Amino acid sequence: MKKQSAKPAKAHKKNRNVGIVGIGMTSLSSHKEDQNQPEMIHEAVRAALADAKMTLDDIDCIVHGNMELFEMQYQPDMWHVLGSGAYGKDEYRITTGGTVGATLVCAADNLVASGLYDTVLAIGFEKLQEGNTTGGITNMADPLWFRNIQTGALTGTTAAMMIDEFGAERAKKAAMKYRILMDKHAMLNERAHRRFGLEYDQAEDLMKTSPQLVGELRLIHMCSQSDGACAMIFTHEKKAKKVSKTPVWIRDHITVHREENMSNLYAFEKPEMTHHYAARKLFERNGIKDPVKYFDVFEMYDPSAWWGLDWSREFLQLKGDEHLRMLEDGEFDLDGKLPLNPSGGVIASNPIGATAMLRPAFAALQIRGDAGGCQIKKPVRHALASGFGGTLWTVLMMLEKDLDW
Amino acid sequence: MAEFYGTTVADIFNTMPKRFKPEEAKDEDIAIGYECKGEGKWKVTIKHGTIKVEEVKGDLKGCATTIHAADAETFIGTTLGKIQAMDALTTGKLRVVGDVKLLMTLLPKIFVQYTAPEKKSSVVAKDIISTITERFRPDKAAGVDMKVGYDLAGEGGGKWTIVIKDGKCAVKEGLAKDLTVKMTMPAEIYVGMMLGTISGESAFTSGQVKLDGDMMAAGATSRFFNKFVDPNAKASEAEELITIKVTNSINCRFATGTAYGMWFKGLKEKKFLANVCPKCGRTQITPREICAFCRVRCNEFVELGPRGTITAADVVYFASPDPLTGAVRETPYAMCWILLDNASPQEAFCFDIKREDLPKMKVGARVRPVWAKETKGTFTDLLYFELDK
Repeated sequence: MKKQSAKPAKAHKKNRNVGIVGIGMTSLSSHKEDQNQPEMIHEAVRAALADAKMTLDDIDCIVHGNMELFEMQYQPDMWHVLGSGAYGKDEYRITTGGTVGATLVCAADNLVASGLYDTVLAIGFEKLQEGNTTGGITNMADPLWFRNIQTGALTGTTAAMMIDEFGAERAKKAAMKYRILMDKHAMLNERAHRRFGLEYDQAEDLMKTSPQLVGELRLIHMCSQSDGACAMIFTHEKKAKKVSKTPVWIRDHITVHREENMSNLYAFEKPEMTHHYAARKLFERNGIKDPVKYFDVFEMYDPSAWWGLDWSREFLQLKGDEHLRMLEDGEFDLDGKLPLNPSGGVIASNPIGATAMLRPAFAALQIRGDAGGCQIKKPVRHALASGFGGTLWTVLMMLEKDLDW
Repeated sequence: MAEFYGTTVADIFNTMPKRFKPEEAKDEDIAIGYECKGEGKWKVTIKHGTIKVEEVKGDLKGCATTIHAADAETFIGTTLGKIQAMDALTTGKLRVVGDVKLLMTLLPKIFVQYTAPEKKSSVVAKDIISTITERFRPDKAAGVDMKVGYDLAGEGGGKWTIVIKDGKCAVKEGLAKDLTVKMTMPAEIYVGMMLGTISGESAFTSGQVKLDGDMMAAGATSRFFNKFVDPNAKASEAEELITIKVTNSINCRFATGTAYGMWFKGLKEKKFLANVCPKCGRTQITPREICAFCRVRCNEFVELGPRGTITAADVVYFASPDPLTGAVRETPYAMCWILLDNASPQEAFCFDIKREDLPKMKVGARVRPVWAKETKGTFTDLLYFELDK
């Protein structure tokens, strides 16, 4: 892996601290035909307002986002005014792909931190059942070259590389253990979409018989397609302390892109992955030497079991098979050293425009102690949340319980 | 035979010939095996627009693809769309040996979607009779003076007299002696007529309904009453969720710009043209205007390949739509990352491999491009790569 040599990114110069004071989400499910888009969004917005003990009068600005082409509808923010409450308010629409939910949180943080707005409501949503996700991703790929060969978001290359590195038996076992761990977490999270009740003794059978999608990426490894919305309310330190007993502070975040062209990902000489770069820079500038030790929870955007497992090494700056050992030793379990995706992750629930926002949302609920059935038992003070999209985009975010960094 | 969602596994197979669309299957020649644990096995043979459905004892033989359901609930649920097929496939409750995409492509094309038989109404004659006074329309019965007797045999039946007089209506148990007309029939026929599932005329013609007295009066009674509405049917109607189906088809045109323009110009001449970063020396394929790492323009073009080495290989089994045609892709196919000769080591090139070479394809294998007969300077010029033996 060759480290990239872009100029070092500086930490955000925050004008003032920003706290998350309201979190609302709908249930996450395969179909929401009982609600149209504004109705679904309204449910999340109401829940966030209730959580923050606020009304729409307290909201100065709304940021709104999804992957518009998944539902093939332009200016959804206009339609959604009926449910978002943006009437008469400033509103921004953001669409960055899989990362959009995380980018919404970054934008809301920046808008409040800068002093442009005091209180910002961010809304991420998707109704994947209303469109065709794989068709959408395929049809939206680089029109000049990659579109002719794109297969949606499916790739077996990571599986092949992990099998090559760790041997077929260990790699396949680990991917299944990761998958079943995510299902076990989802079973504890009443909001999760897919809760199968899988047991570890099914691993052997499923790794052989689950339909192959691409190479060793099988249906069982892949994330769901879900409907759902998430809304979060952000405000500045003074107000956050006033309105909330448990504000969750956004410490820092970083966004890293690759080129839009995927050509140079899988040659013999591989570039530093965006996840690795993002984590390296974010930890460097915040003085985090040992992320596994520092963080109490990591909500990772894990589109498949293979990617989730492989990316844990990149994000946590692990070496060799450290990530496999952490998984095998139960360190990613709810009571492990660093609980990974107590929510069940993206594999369990994936309404794409909301997915990357659900990561900091679930992480913040863990910090507050409000995560319900999937609450980590020991105190959660430091959380890490990631977003992923497109041809490798990374958004990585640090959340804190206390303003003490 | 276990029943789920108001139907059984046998119902689904029994209705298959009726739901079959011969025209859509005229080019098909395939045998599909079905196994539903606890229910049985079936073999469905489709050949040039004909279908044969047979229950099989013992092994499923001679089937190109077999579909296995863990239980009747899974099989019926996924057939009706009550259970997500994707979820059932994910957990292994539904398993396909052979061609998985049959489920998504062929079957929906050649069969009319199965729907559970209409649930028999739980309404009995007595329930209908009890609503007669509230359904009475005095405006239609002005000046009418008659007594209609119903003698309904069987479950939920009984004997009643409907008295219509002075714009009023009353129902009395038993049959009055001075009836204008008496109707005798099985109670279920009466229910069917009232719900509209049985035609009154044919029930009368076939002798299921016997009339005694003034026939004209019997025919006239229906207009004195509002139509009976099945309260159960009404409930299911209210639950219907309305969705709109739309298929979009959009023609697009994209400008290539200079760097990509050179690439397509190269394809026309059956050449792979990359541009070189003057700072780091990497060969960008496909070419981009600048090197994103060094942030400098890349104006120099070099020819790569045409042969190369596979650096990573993906065999795709999932039948995603081909964005160029909208049709479902034929699977399996391979997507390979190829390092063309003379390319810098991090710049692999992604493309398809010849279908026949799939079994022998591996990382490190040498490949060569196969071009279209006529190259036009577009992405269809390059057909695929094949193993370079």
